[in-house]
Amino acid sequence: MGIFKKLGWYFKQERKRYLIGILALVGTALVNLVPPRVIGILADLFDQGHITGNATWWWIGLLLAAGIFQYLFRFAWRNMIWGGAATLEKQLRSRLFWHFMQMDDTFFQRHRTGDLMAHATNDLNAIQNVAGAGILTFADSIITGGSTLIAMMIFVDWRLTLVAIIPLPLLAVTARRLGMKLHAAFSESQAAFSRLNDKTQESVSGIKVIKTFGQDQEDVADFNKIVDRTILINKRVNRLDSLFDPVTSLIIGATYVIAIIYGGTMVNAGTITIGSLISFVAYVNALIWPMFAIGRLFNVIERGNASYDRVQELLQEKSEVVDKPNAITKLSHTNIDYALDHFTYPGAHKVTLQDIRFNLPEGRQLGIVGRVGAGKTTIIKLLLREFDQYTGVIKIGGRDIRDYTLAALHNAIGYVPQDNYLFSTDIRNNIRFSAYEKDQPAVEAAAKTSAIHDDILQFADQYDTLVGEKGVSLSGGQKQRLSIARAVIAEPDILIMDDALSAVDAKTEEQILSGLQEDRANKTTIIVAQRLSSVMHADEILVLDDGRITERGTHDQLLADHGWYAEMWAEQQLTQSMERSDA
Amino acid sequence: MAAKNPYESAWNQHIPVKEQMKLTGRLMSFAKYYKKQFISAIILSFALAIINIWLPRVIQEFMNGALAKHNATTATILGAGLVYALGTIVKAIVQFGSNFTFSMGAERAMEDVRRQLFAKLHTLGMRYFDLTPAGSVVSRVTNDTMTLTDFWNVFMSLLVGIFSIGTALVAMYINNPTAAWIVAAFIPILLLATWFYNRYSSKVYRHMRAKLSELNAKLNESIEGVSIIQNFEQQKRVDSEFEDVNNDYLDSRRAMIKTNSLLLSSFLNLIYVFALTAVLIHFGIMAETAVVAAGTVYVFSSYIQSFFNPLGNLMDQLQFFQDGVVAGSRIFRILDNKELAPQQNPGADAVVQEGKVEFRHVSFSYDGENEVLHDINFVVKPGETIGLVGHTGSGKSSIINVMMRFYEFYQGQILIDDRDIRDYPIEELRRKLGLVLQDSFLFYGDIAFNIRLFNDKISDDEVKKAAEFVQADSFIEKLPNTYHARVIEGGAQFSSGQRQLISFARTVAADPKILVLDEATANIDTETETLIQDGLRKLRQGRTTIAIAHRLSTIRDASQILVLDKGRIVEAGTHDELLAQKGKYYNMYQLQMGKGDLSQD
Repeated sequence: MGIFKKLGWYFKQERKRYLIGILALVGTALVNLVPPRVIGILADLFDQGHITGNATWWWIGLLLAAGIFQYLFRFAWRNMIWGGAATLEKQLRSRLFWHFMQMDDTFFQRHRTGDLMAHATNDLNAIQNVAGAGILTFADSIITGGSTLIAMMIFVDWRLTLVAIIPLPLLAVTARRLGMKLHAAFSESQAAFSRLNDKTQESVSGIKVIKTFGQDQEDVADFNKIVDRTILINKRVNRLDSLFDPVTSLIIGATYVIAIIYGGTMVNAGTITIGSLISFVAYVNALIWPMFAIGRLFNVIERGNASYDRVQELLQEKSEVVDKPNAITKLSHTNIDYALDHFTYPGAHKVTLQDIRFNLPEGRQLGIVGRVGAGKTTIIKLLLREFDQYTGVIKIGGRDIRDYTLAALHNAIGYVPQDNYLFSTDIRNNIRFSAYEKDQPAVEAAAKTSAIHDDILQFADQYDTLVGEKGVSLSGGQKQRLSIARAVIAEPDILIMDDALSAVDAKTEEQILSGLQEDRANKTTIIVAQRLSSVMHADEILVLDDGRITERGTHDQLLADHGWYAEMWAEQQLTQSMERSDA
Repeated sequence: MAAKNPYESAWNQHIPVKEQMKLTGRLMSFAKYYKKQFISAIILSFALAIINIWLPRVIQEFMNGALAKHNATTATILGAGLVYALGTIVKAIVQFGSNFTFSMGAERAMEDVRRQLFAKLHTLGMRYFDLTPAGSVVSRVTNDTMTLTDFWNVFMSLLVGIFSIGTALVAMYINNPTAAWIVAAFIPILLLATWFYNRYSSKVYRHMRAKLSELNAKLNESIEGVSIIQNFEQQKRVDSEFEDVNNDYLDSRRAMIKTNSLLLSSFLNLIYVFALTAVLIHFGIMAETAVVAAGTVYVFSSYIQSFFNPLGNLMDQLQFFQDGVVAGSRIFRILDNKELAPQQNPGADAVVQEGKVEFRHVSFSYDGENEVLHDINFVVKPGETIGLVGHTGSGKSSIINVMMRFYEFYQGQILIDDRDIRDYPIEELRRKLGLVLQDSFLFYGDIAFNIRLFNDKISDDEVKKAAEFVQADSFIEKLPNTYHARVIEGGAQFSSGQRQLISFARTVAADPKILVLDEATANIDTETETLIQDGLRKLRQGRTTIAIAHRLSTIRDASQILVLDKGRIVEAGTHDELLAQKGKYYNMYQLQMGKGDLSQD
């Protein structure tokens, strides 16, 4: 029952809704008592035959009125209580969403997208179930169950009632036990479904390898094996699920048998009338649901409670990267002083960056190159404050970046990430993502700088073209260029491009770089690249290997050093010449 | 992760009625292999309907008989109890049987569709996979098929409803024909209510589902793109957009709740009371002149209930019909797909002996419009290596694609040991042609599985030897559980170099006669780079090799080098011959020499 207390804030907030809902439930329960009794009374009347007077018609009128009130009350409580549950789910979802938006990288490392989605769907569903079905079953089992029992004792016979309801608690036990088993079996069934999903996913992604090794038949056989296992698991689910109806029938049947034997004896002896017995049987029917509800209530509460705790736990996680009290809201200038002693990713053993020092005055360009995994992106991540725990100091504008508000820092930086994630909206809104107030000319200017404007004009809907699953599929190079446009449109003081040109050809690269040079004459740019031609014009180039700076200098200096940079340069010139020889 | 969008929505799709009928017919035909289950379930549910009207009858007889006359003996009372108890037990058994047989029949039939789909996928050509996002293929096999169980259930519910209503009507008719007619008069109202509910609620329901898809898609996207949102400080805007969708969904849900509370079970209950009232009025009028037995009143109140009860369930189920049809149309689009993998000649039985490869005037296009290979001619003698050089899009990969029979070509001939490639059974080609791909794909399982794949004839020892041969053993031995170390999805825990080595070992273990090599351009960590070069050299030993090279050093000793450009061979010859030509190859080589100078420094 703890979960009701935990959700107390919500019930308090929505007390009017729940008050009306529960009153309507009480109304329903009371009105529900009428039809069984009326039918019994009418049965007795008709059984005597040759009725006179208006009594019959009054009773029938009462039955009709009860039916109409039942409808109205039911409509009211359904609307109130189910609506309340839906609203709770919505509120919690809003909270979760806003929380996700505040969380840092560490949080998202710890919780994969799929898990977070599961919390936001399955867990919220279990919680809203408490506010809906939970409240309903709780109120219903007490109100309907109690009032029906009382009616049975008053209108029919208390001894018959006490004896006949003996089997009924078994309904609650069944609902609880079978419900638990079914839930467990169902989880297993879902796991089996995921396995099938993963298997299919893998076969589709690896189709070329499977074909190459001529293993189609074997792969199909493997799939069929997984299907066989799935069937076996689902068999258990189906068996348990199919048990609900028959078990209910047996328990209710037992009550009926008692009613027939004990009730029949009483009718025979004249203690009760046949009509009363008919009422009695109808009341037993009315008890089925409340008894079931008690059993289900436990399961709803248990699941809701676990889910609520999980969601709360998630909500209580704090971002490691937060604004200090009285953080500075404006950067005075954008000189970058990077003086990092070392940095290790949370939970990792290996030091990722060590002794990274550089100075980048406002308006200059820095290039960072090196092998995959050398730590290039990590340098950028620290600059963007995705992690705050490192030894050393990173300063922009003469102040530790941790002294600024995140907003101030982020507003100064335009970032083109490696994975250029685009949102499923149109191209225009993707470009002006960081500056929604920008108009079409500004969007086009950014697109031109990023050499994507002409591509966009090729699409039927031009800037209105949708991106993503439902829209046009863009090439890697197009995505990169859109992502550059998104970063430059806000004219940031510092532009960071993290391997943002890897998928565009050499000519386009030149075009973009010279465009940027023009548009951002006095602004700072940091370029991380695989291809050295991206950084060759930089004021300083850092060569990274295994988390350390191994070479540094201008392009000419580095060539003269005959180190890794010079070697890579030669190799890349070769591949480029192969591409160009064709033009 | 390509299976990104499990929230994909097709809820607003419209299919013409005629098409719906056709699809329904085809979907029903999937069920025919489990005819026995389905028919037994139907028979059992009919039996259940009979029991359901028989049990109240027992009580009625009891009441109208001995009980009404107050002369029941203990034996009659116990007898009635016993009959009822036995009836209940039979009912429970029948109920279980009907539910369980049906759900298992539906389950098996549904899994059969999955099997068919999955097997069909393996017969499709690569072009299908080029054009279809992986996520949607997966969704067809798993999610869409899931809908079918509900779809078949619609028909079962319909039958159960008809049985229940039919038997109840007959039973009432036997008891009191006029009363039965009165209840029957409510049938049009019920049909109207069902029709109206289905029409109206399915609209509301679809709207709600669409909103839910949108909501989940937005949530998913915002989580995946969270760092972009944060870096551009757009949390507030994205949140307010999410709030809009969240509110829309709430509104749609409230509309659904309202519709259901207005029209579903509470409404049926209202109609039930109306019908009951009408029958009681009839009995009331009868009772003015005669006697209406109490048991008869009881039995009618019970029959009217079984008349109305199944309708709620049926109304609830009907919405799945549309879902099933939509899912079915997508499933059939795969099953009917004609984009099959290239076929071999009927009766193909040739065996690759030597491993000689020849391309004769081969031209090829992926889409039938733009030619990507034009009149390609070359011969590779057994055991020799041919190198393919050229920039991206020059046609190197296409040569591999037609050679491996991933795509069908229509002009020219590819010969192996002087026989048409189509004369070899595909299994033979797969056994004798080994392809090493640029991006090495690893499967979920362990290392040993990834080397032998499903070929159980390759012993543990051979797996080990293959790994040793390409020097993959050094890192494998260091893993916990060595060859039985788990490989997670896509082999993400290994570096791309390590993945390459495992895929080399895979090829060595399969021991092909002809090797087709697509050299990796990916960035590989230093430690493994030399291992990979070694591995490649070893792989080529004694095998006819067709190699795409990005580093000229790999193919310097090739017996022939082809320089490709726009799908044509523009230069051909040995390394020395090509140098003498002073063409493209010469230029490339010059640059490589320059690089050599630098590194020797």
